[in-house]
Amino acid sequence: MDCSLGNIAGRGSQEEAFDEPLGGPVRFPGGIAMPVQLEKVLGFGRSFSFWPLLFGLACCAIEMMALGGPRFDMSRFGMEAMRASPRQADGMIIAGWCSIKMAPRVVRLYEQIPDPKWVLAMGSCAISGNIWDTYHVVQGIDSLIPVDVYVPGCPPRPEALWEGLEMIRERIKQSRHAYDGLRRIPAREALAQATASSVPPAVPLEVPLVEVPRS
Amino acid sequence: MSAGGGAERPLPASLLAADRAVLDRFGARILERIEAFGELTYCVAPGDWTEVLSFLKDSPEGAFDQLDCLLGDHLPEREDRPLAVVVHLVSHAHGHRLRVKTALAEGQGLPTLTGLWPSAGFDEREAWEMFGILFEGHPDLRRLLTTDDFEGHPLRKDFPLQGTVGGRIRIDLRGKI
Ligand code: SF4
Repeated sequence: MDCSLGNIAGRGSQEEAFDEPLGGPVRFPGGIAMPVQLEKVLGFGRSFSFWPLLFGLACCAIEMMALGGPRFDMSRFGMEAMRASPRQADGMIIAGWCSIKMAPRVVRLYEQIPDPKWVLAMGSCAISGNIWDTYHVVQGIDSLIPVDVYVPGCPPRPEALWEGLEMIRERIKQSRHAYDGLRRIPAREALAQATASSVPPAVPLEVPLVEVPRS
Repeated sequence: MSAGGGAERPLPASLLAADRAVLDRFGARILERIEAFGELTYCVAPGDWTEVLSFLKDSPEGAFDQLDCLLGDHLPEREDRPLAVVVHLVSHAHGHRLRVKTALAEGQGLPTLTGLWPSAGFDEREAWEMFGILFEGHPDLRRLLTTDDFEGHPLRKDFPLQGTVGGRIRIDLRGKI
């Protein structure tokens, strides 16, 4: 397929990851889980029923809808149940550019999704702001929330999004999340920093991109 | 005055009747009357704004019952009056449309139209936010599309197109997440 896809893990390392044993503790709020075979079983089960949040921000959402429709039909993979409530969702697809006014709502929606959760940034706007280096667009959603898979394109074709979702599925099987069990949410960190230093009360637009932990 | 090419398309009969009523009533207070592409545009002084528009709404010939949109404009080359406000009106009774414009000096206010068409509320908020045109008597003149602490009027021609305007543009998450 001719769509170039980006993944923070890189495709090579992802294939290697199949052979690795699941290592290290996975921390959830209120406890630590030692991954054993059970984690693999759970991941296998979850990977066939990834329910994204029914949520689109801009024109990329049109391609996301196309993937949900009959022609591309993502219900073949157990992903058609897009939930309108974040509390029933397993993750979110950031489909389109996020305006600065919308940014707090996106962070809230992200935080309302129960753990474990996965995030896919769809399109150049969600990844980097695209051509909208202007007064109203967040320059990359990963300055606010951790992102698992990046799907570039303007807009990405439904097949590209589908492949991105397949990458999410692999990460679900391996019980890997962008926040790496530590719940490092860049928006929270920037907010805490700004509050502690009490210099500018708001988070500047150019928050240094928090490095997403690599698996 | 008519623009070339489009002049041969005539105005609808109902709009011509409304046009006659307006010209009878206001005469020279309609500063400019532009007819092009089968559409009619009036330019009026800011002082006549409410009077002309309420006449257009209430007169049986006009019967403009809908304010389709209200927008601002910035024309810095017009030094004495760089700002403009344009309204597009629709009449569902007659099926015709009309455009009314006015030119404003920097800092000059304009009376609100929310009393005539409540839908003007959001449009006036946007025109105020984007161009800094003050609408006097507006019940709720807050920023609509940008955050409350935003400084500047982004659709003015002198607003930088790119970047964060010297770091002035910020994502304020306090109390919101
Ligand atoms: S990447 Fe392109 S299609 Fe997607 S939201 Fe941005 S401008 Fe729209």
